[in-house]
Amino acid sequence: MEKRETMLEAYLKKGMSRRSFLKGCVALTSIMGLSTDMLSKVVEAAETTPLPVVIWLHGHECTGCDESFIRSGAPLASDLVLNNIALEYDHLLSAASGEPFEAHLEETIQKYYGKYILAVEGAVATKDNGIYCMTGGKPFVDTLQHVAKGAAAVIAYGSCAVSGGIQAAKPNPTGSSGIEHYIGNKPLINVPGCPPIAEVMTGVVMHIALFGKLPPVDSENRPKQFYGNRIHDTCYRRPFFDAGMFADRYDDAGAKAGWCLYRLGCRGPETYNSCGNMRWYQGMSYPIQSGAPCIGCSSANFWDNAPFSDRLPKYGPLGDIDKIGAGLAIATTAGVAVHGALSVVQKKKRQDEENDGEQVKK
Amino acid sequence: MKHVVVDPVTRIEGHLRVEVQVDEASGKVQNAVSSGTAWRGLELVMNGRDPRDAWAYIQRICGVCTTAHALGSLRAVEDALGIKIPKNAHYIRNVMAAAQSVQDHVIHFYHLHALDWVSPLEALKADSTATANLQNAVLANYQLPFAMPGGISTEAYPKDFPQATPAYFDTIKKKIQAIVDSGQLGIFSAQWWDHPDYQILPPEVHLLGVAHYLIMLDKQREIVIPHVIFGGKNPHPHYVVGGMPCAISMEDGNAPLNAARLDIVDRAINTTRALMREYYVPDALAIGAIYVKKGYTDGGGLAKKRVLGFGAYPQEPFTGTTDGGFFKDLLVRCNGVVENFAAGVTKAKFTAVGAEDLSNPKIFNESVTHSWYEYPEQADKDAALHPWDGVTKAKYTTPKEGTETAWKALDDEGKYSWLKTPKWRGKVCEVGPLARYIIIYTKAKQGLLPDPSWAEKMIIDQIETVSKVLGLAPEVWMPTMVGRTATRALEAQLDAEVGKFFFDKLLANIKSGDTKVANMEKWDPSTWPKKARGVGLYEAPRGALSHWCVIENGKITNYQAVVPTTWNACPKDDQAGHGAYEAAMMDTKVKIPDKPLEILKVVRSFDPCMACSTHLFNASGEKIKVVTTDPYMGTQTDD
Repeated sequence: MEKRETMLEAYLKKGMSRRSFLKGCVALTSIMGLSTDMLSKVVEAAETTPLPVVIWLHGHECTGCDESFIRSGAPLASDLVLNNIALEYDHLLSAASGEPFEAHLEETIQKYYGKYILAVEGAVATKDNGIYCMTGGKPFVDTLQHVAKGAAAVIAYGSCAVSGGIQAAKPNPTGSSGIEHYIGNKPLINVPGCPPIAEVMTGVVMHIALFGKLPPVDSENRPKQFYGNRIHDTCYRRPFFDAGMFADRYDDAGAKAGWCLYRLGCRGPETYNSCGNMRWYQGMSYPIQSGAPCIGCSSANFWDNAPFSDRLPKYGPLGDIDKIGAGLAIATTAGVAVHGALSVVQKKKRQDEENDGEQVKK
Repeated sequence: MKHVVVDPVTRIEGHLRVEVQVDEASGKVQNAVSSGTAWRGLELVMNGRDPRDAWAYIQRICGVCTTAHALGSLRAVEDALGIKIPKNAHYIRNVMAAAQSVQDHVIHFYHLHALDWVSPLEALKADSTATANLQNAVLANYQLPFAMPGGISTEAYPKDFPQATPAYFDTIKKKIQAIVDSGQLGIFSAQWWDHPDYQILPPEVHLLGVAHYLIMLDKQREIVIPHVIFGGKNPHPHYVVGGMPCAISMEDGNAPLNAARLDIVDRAINTTRALMREYYVPDALAIGAIYVKKGYTDGGGLAKKRVLGFGAYPQEPFTGTTDGGFFKDLLVRCNGVVENFAAGVTKAKFTAVGAEDLSNPKIFNESVTHSWYEYPEQADKDAALHPWDGVTKAKYTTPKEGTETAWKALDDEGKYSWLKTPKWRGKVCEVGPLARYIIIYTKAKQGLLPDPSWAEKMIIDQIETVSKVLGLAPEVWMPTMVGRTATRALEAQLDAEVGKFFFDKLLANIKSGDTKVANMEKWDPSTWPKKARGVGLYEAPRGALSHWCVIENGKITNYQAVVPTTWNACPKDDQAGHGAYEAAMMDTKVKIPDKPLEILKVVRSFDPCMACSTHLFNASGEKIKVVTTDPYMGTQTDD
């Protein structure tokens, strides 16, 4: 096995100084939400960790995830693709096509067997032997299973790869599903969203590049650093929710004043994503900030939790609370109670984790 | 004769396979097959949904031309429900549409198409000083001085002017050298870099091209900033039926739109205009000029014979599409068909397209002879049905060679694609920026464009200037592979100006005291008719797009999108002949059959978007409702 480059080696090889390498590490430390005292660890990781080889496959998708990926502000797409990972196979950006391209995929699989990261965008079409999604003259499902075998880990980019996405919405004409059951027992990182936030997508890859291991994930295999909070808990409009100040119609006084969009159907209270804290375009906006209620695009099967104008708790996990809150006159009040309950659960969980940590230390 | 297969075709959206029969002695392509190899069934997913959500679902047809389908859908639903959106919302949507078109064209030229023209390996042979000189020469010779008239100037000086120093190009060269030396070519792996077509351009153009590939990879994100401000994110920004969700207030600190938010859009628009002026147009013309001067004027195909457009950018809010309102005040009146442009602009034939044509099954219909669908027994084998009359029952067949799940050669005598074949008056048409430019130019030269708008004048000025630079008449250079790529660059410059034009209108309207962004009068389903149908037309980056919806009892009961890539990438029709991709491939010479770079280059000159183009499949083969939209008789549905 040929030795793979570390990020530092790549920087030096590509004619860049250690100084610019360190600058890159500082940018990465902040983008990954780590405090500056983590910088030395980031530098250490980048100096010693091999440059990851990435194979990116496309199933039933719209290419919106690729597009989001290249919208990343830090790292910039050029830096990421040319300096921090070796993107050996990707239908959107790769120069090659057809037979030589497919041959290169095989070579890459063999050369880096057991070492490469497989990134998958799009759902698996399973009906009728997979004929609804053919690539290279073969069903995509076959290619996915084949490439997954040699992968060190698999990243499911976007809600289609995670849970089937739009083509899996009722009536799911092509029998589409997420990739989970088609990748063997490989470690899986789910990065849901339609599409996911650019810097979340690149952040996951950079975590692997820098630390040489997968980012910590929750029970649904989502990276905790990006999916640990409900949008509702990090939303800048949250104080209006707590104060009972809502937009009731688009373009009404509440909408102009930037009050809470809960009554317009906002799914923020049940959606785990980084829209509230990281936001899109490095803090520039997110749907709620632009006046649009969240449609819950990082939740499994959110397309069937519609109409989107129906407000919670009709849909989602809050639905159970309907019965509990049956005695409450106003749905909003039920919502407040529920989201409060969920926050308490989360707080408790974090306390438990901290306690566990302390016990280990002792 | 050699049978050559390219699958997957990369640097496109979605899944495309092409097969060509090449005469090895002459390099002539005798037969060409274009096959869309995936089908997702999104139109079927639409059934039973709330029409107010339609834009969100159907926008997911495509994340590359993200928002094109949302805007088409909003127009269709608002047409059905009789909603006229407020001025601010109309201007904002047009700013977003313009931003999307520019960004899409930029990504296409620099990241999807460029590596067909330039090679990092050739760039290594360049002299850095000569490249710096070349950059200056390109700016001096190929910048086009056109812009929208007047306007509020908020930019003191251009912020993104290209670097033109030897030291800069040295750095880029070193970087490429290091990547090549590392043996890990990444995205540059496995291409036919030894193909003779990479010798057409001098090494300095390759180095300039690679440098701008990198710059634009990082700059393209700024072009769609208007989506992030107005729609909260990109790709897939948010909208609302009746207008926009981004409420405007200069009195509330938390308002989605205030002066500070608008300033972010203003900056993005300035950047966009500069990138078109200083990079995209000069780069595309410099490369195109070398190709044309070396005699590469092939790949025109169907563009020589027939192009179609629906019209772009209604200037003010309009009443609807079925009532013809959409066509009344277009900034770019490219609604129509031009035939035989290659014979010369005076000999070309123009036929207008209006609202009444869209519903006429004799004018617009689709055939499935070579698509993996079948029509019912009562219909003739070669029947062509109006989209609304379309029966879409899957009929997957095995390839000519290979098996159902391991293709060797597709059956071009039988069925071979998930795309249908759309036709206008029984004929196939090419759509896209080239089509729009041919139509406007022909109309203008034939006296069919009274009182041209500034945008139409700009199109004519661009075409005439480029014709002068190339020393060739428009009918010679335009309907070619190079012409398709060059007009896309010209259109990107136009779209950048269009964005500024509508942004200025937005500012002026807000200044007048109007802050309304959403018309909520018909938000509640109780205000809707029991049955309603609508159509939305939109000139998407890849060409003419139409969305059709039927709403019954507050739910969508039928949804159809007839998209540009279906027009262009369709399988052949036994009467009408080959579609645009196939015709263009058959109008292209191949030097080395085993390395058909020319084939990929000509197919990519259309900017393929396959996820958009594959059609609805109704598993049970039920007849889909027939919808007739007539401006005089109103809209009817036959069950």
